[in-house]
Amino acid sequence: MNFASTPEHDALRDQIRTFARDRLNHDVVGRDRERRFSPDLWRTCGTHGLPGLPAPVEHGGRGFDPLTCVVALDALGYGCTDHGLTFALCAHLAACVVPIWQFGTEAQQRRYLPGLCDGRLIGAHAMTEAEAGSDSFNMRTVAERTAGGWRLHGAKKFVSNALHADLIVAFALTESSTRFHGGVTAFVLERSTPGLTISAPIDTMGLRTASVADIRLEDVRVEDAHVLGGVGAGAGVFARAMDWERICLFAAHVGQMERLLDRAVTHARTRQVGGVAIGKHQAVSHRIADMKVRVDAARLLTYRAASRLGVTRAVALDAAIAKLFVSEALVQTAMDTVQILGGNGYATDHEVERALRDAVGARIYSGTSEIQRNIISGWLGL
Amino acid sequence: MIDPREIQSIVKAHILDRFLPQANADELTTETPLIAGGILDSLATVRLVTFLEERFGIEVKAHEANAENLGSLAQIADLVRRKVDRA
Repeated sequence: MNFASTPEHDALRDQIRTFARDRLNHDVVGRDRERRFSPDLWRTCGTHGLPGLPAPVEHGGRGFDPLTCVVALDALGYGCTDHGLTFALCAHLAACVVPIWQFGTEAQQRRYLPGLCDGRLIGAHAMTEAEAGSDSFNMRTVAERTAGGWRLHGAKKFVSNALHADLIVAFALTESSTRFHGGVTAFVLERSTPGLTISAPIDTMGLRTASVADIRLEDVRVEDAHVLGGVGAGAGVFARAMDWERICLFAAHVGQMERLLDRAVTHARTRQVGGVAIGKHQAVSHRIADMKVRVDAARLLTYRAASRLGVTRAVALDAAIAKLFVSEALVQTAMDTVQILGGNGYATDHEVERALRDAVGARIYSGTSEIQRNIISGWLGL
Repeated sequence: MIDPREIQSIVKAHILDRFLPQANADELTTETPLIAGGILDSLATVRLVTFLEERFGIEVKAHEANAENLGSLAQIADLVRRKVDRA
């Protein structure tokens, strides 16, 4: 067990924090108000290889191991105040790049990974349905066999990146009697596929610089070459994507928590009331001490989970623990920062209130906190 | 070559311990339907596959974690034996 970071990780962290702070934070308040995703910033991230961190170098990725990916995304979360952009990048990476890299055929990898890695293509992941929210495999979307291919029919809800996605990994029932056990198949769908339509954007409390929309699949016909990971492999593809998402996306949240902590410390040391810095009052300093404990615990859980990605399938437990803790800690940290900054924390142009709005979704996406507790207790045999 | 009966015995002990702690061991036969009978739900399946991979040093691929390979002790033993023999 070694808790020391390497010089390579330190250099990567510094490089990405600087890049994000200097290049990604322009007019975030305005874009949040206008609910505007920035394709330009996405491409800027592409020039730095962020959308393809773990993908093999020969397919345009940076070939990072999971722990290095987490270091990079932690740094992105710290440096980038556009939480919607960070969310969109992580969703793309974990739920589209990783499945195609790990389960795609050579032809699928050659066709899609270079563009997904360099910022030319945006990926999405379509699993949730209206009648099957947390009970994902109770889906209604079906894929029926046709001569030489498949015909898909159904609807997906709350698809992150949907408005701008060029490529969607979508899940459908191919054998209704077995569902989780070999009855679900993943498909790679290109945006231009006839019958695939995307709804108007869904207005959300936070992460307004990312896009979320519903998808309809009406008589969508694709060839066998669009099957991802084999017929009936959907449960495995989905599980792998969730392992990566619950670790990588929440690594970015650890970075966001540390940025909020630094903001709170700076404010508490410089803001004076009655000639005394407010940080000298225990009501403030103890709150900040708790924030520090949460950041460090969140980072340890996330990095431990990352070190087990690809090593054992039991990482699903580590990922659930990390996801649950980080999401709850992020909301609490954002609440504490608002409280410490007082009126400035509540005002919309100081970015802290947006951090709180952006944090709330973390307890819902990638499986709610309740689902994570179900997973954890299930692993304990309960 | 590993004896299928030995695999069945190891897996049976694991399932009884982890998923059927109150059950009578005699009621879990080689043909008891594990998936159709609701013993292996989605999370239990992931935990069982994790156990098989770590205990027998094999890899169960995403498309293999289905009712044909994990539906009963006999089918699980057959899957493990094929993978161990191939290694």
